[in-house]
Amino acid sequence: MSAEAWQITWFTIGVATLSTLLILPFGVALAWLLARRDWPGKSIVETLVALPLVIPPVATGLVLLKLLGRRGLLGGWLEKTWGLEIVFTWRGVVIATAVMSFPLLVRTARVAFENVNPRLEQVARTLGSGPWRVFASVTLPLALRGLVAGALLAFARALGEFGATIMVAGYIPGQTATLSLSIYHLVQLGHDGEALGLLAVSVIIAFAAVWGSEWFLRRRTS
Amino acid sequence: MKTHRFFAPVFTALFALSLHAAELNVFAAASLSDALKEIAKSYEPASGDKLRYNFAASSALARQIKEGAPADVFFSADEAKMDDLVKGNLIATDTRLSLLSNTLVIVVNVDGGAAIATPADLAKPSVGRIALAEPQTVPAGIYAKEYLQKAGLWKKVIDKVVPTENVRACLSAVEAGNADAGIVYKTDALISKKVKVAYEVTAAEGPKISYPLAVVRESKNADAARKFAAHLVTPEARAIFAKYGFLPAP
Amino acid sequence: MSVELQGVRLQLARFALAVNATLAGRITGIFGASGSGKTSLLEVIAGLRRPAAGVVRVDGVTLTDAPAKVFFRPERRGVGYVPQDGALFPHLSVRKNLLFGHGEKQIRPTGLNFDHVSEVLEIASLVDRRIETLSGGEKQRVALGRALLAAPRWLLLDEPLAGLDAPLRDRLLPYFVRVRDEFSIPMIYVTHSPDEVMALCDDVLLIEQGRVEYQGPPRKVFVPATGARYELSRGGLVR
Repeated sequence: MSAEAWQITWFTIGVATLSTLLILPFGVALAWLLARRDWPGKSIVETLVALPLVIPPVATGLVLLKLLGRRGLLGGWLEKTWGLEIVFTWRGVVIATAVMSFPLLVRTARVAFENVNPRLEQVARTLGSGPWRVFASVTLPLALRGLVAGALLAFARALGEFGATIMVAGYIPGQTATLSLSIYHLVQLGHDGEALGLLAVSVIIAFAAVWGSEWFLRRRTS
Repeated sequence: MKTHRFFAPVFTALFALSLHAAELNVFAAASLSDALKEIAKSYEPASGDKLRYNFAASSALARQIKEGAPADVFFSADEAKMDDLVKGNLIATDTRLSLLSNTLVIVVNVDGGAAIATPADLAKPSVGRIALAEPQTVPAGIYAKEYLQKAGLWKKVIDKVVPTENVRACLSAVEAGNADAGIVYKTDALISKKVKVAYEVTAAEGPKISYPLAVVRESKNADAARKFAAHLVTPEARAIFAKYGFLPAP
Repeated sequence: MSVELQGVRLQLARFALAVNATLAGRITGIFGASGSGKTSLLEVIAGLRRPAAGVVRVDGVTLTDAPAKVFFRPERRGVGYVPQDGALFPHLSVRKNLLFGHGEKQIRPTGLNFDHVSEVLEIASLVDRRIETLSGGEKQRVALGRALLAAPRWLLLDEPLAGLDAPLRDRLLPYFVRVRDEFSIPMIYVTHSPDEVMALCDDVLLIEQGRVEYQGPPRKVFVPATGARYELSRGGLVR
């Protein structure tokens, strides 16, 4: 593989990892709330979380672009307050992939929490443990495999993200060029051979991530 | 026989219909969208043909045609894309002609855009991002890069370049404020209310811009296609192009 | 040493739980058919559910007072709870399960320690085993031991012997007697088995459709029967 191809690969793995780490705390917390709590408007939250899975990725990308652009609601404020630019930078890539993979994490994690018998948590409370200790010593260990599977799935999704990413970050060689964006660009240039090379790399990494995820899901909690 | 008598009028009717109601797929550079749409308004009722436009970067269109997309007419923003298709034997070369030219301009946002008085200002640190149509493939980007190289600015600004999919996307980036400046065609700047021209590249400074037009060899509506191509050369059509800021071919 | 339930009301699926009672026996039974509200009542006492109305007082301390908005969270009530299937933590060893609530701030300092409890319940040989390797009877004893080691003031047991066959039940009954005698912790024992009530309880509440129909000595409502050893008397209270 050429040096450039390596750079693109590492960059893609890097943003996918960062994106997954970013959504992990929020995703796990939300998944727990969805699994264990009820509140008015819960179905609206569920629908909103599922939206990036269902609406076309470029549509999500367009929404993000309007929101995070330098004159957007959020983007304008970020630039004014912290001088942070989102669109057309690697940060845009991270945010786009984070938004697109968030629903997958939440769904998988929610099922993981739902599979923990609530009776176990109740008994732990009567044994003298407060809610945080119950979460740390009972809920989390029992849900862990499902959470890891969810994180891997989110990672795999982030690796392959295209539609939202190209809207928010565009293809800027060396700055926002992920594997999928580079494949598209190479095809535009007519360099199909190189594109196929990057395609092979994408498939290998994604395969490993999804296979790992399935492995974790299949193992029963000990 | 009876069947013969039934089919003859049917065939005649269909033949007549085909003569008069062709649907033309016109693949044209993005910068031509407004002008061509206006031309369609008078051409369609007059000719009876329907025009189906596909506006995109000429590079994308050329690729689509190479891959077998059903185009009847190709109107490119540079000669190189047309040459490429000619090499692939995809063009009815007797119909090829260079019709229009354009001017490059540097644009900034009307509302608090970067202060650019001369092209050299593009290299200033206050100009953070410069939007260009993808300089490796899209004609507008290739022209812009050629100009910047000629002006000795390319190396100074290359790190600031944000490549976009086509020239209209480039315009949008400046309109939305996501790029501090951009290089587009004068014809694009004229239709936008959200950008203003900071500098107009003169013919001497800029690259030679030429928009060639041709009928695609494998067109299923070759006659209608030729008719349309011929129409675009008429004074009537030329006046519309001029209205939008296009220049005649160099 | 009593559990007082005053005006406790809780809306359940098909009826409302409405209980007024004082439980002061050493082992108080709560007897009723499935779905009569027995488990929900235990959950209210343990603080796992909040009633719409009413007061729950344990050993004189008000733990739940619905109108006055007093509510002690389950971990601060000193009420142990052994649910129907024991609910042992599958990811921890027997030892870790037993010690889960031990050493937490104890509501009532007692002589309850790991070795004594293991000895009384005869689970010392099991401590390093994994939960899934235990038999039904062993799981119940470990669950009981775990609840005890948290030094509760009261112990709530939800059908601890349900799902076990008769010989096994007979072998496990003495353990509850031992717990009563060795550790002096009062228990509330929910069951739908007349035999268990007669064997263990000095007081029993009959619950039907969420209401207490009778409270008093078990021998007044259970009579010898064919097949099982005892059954609910059909002719009203026994003289």
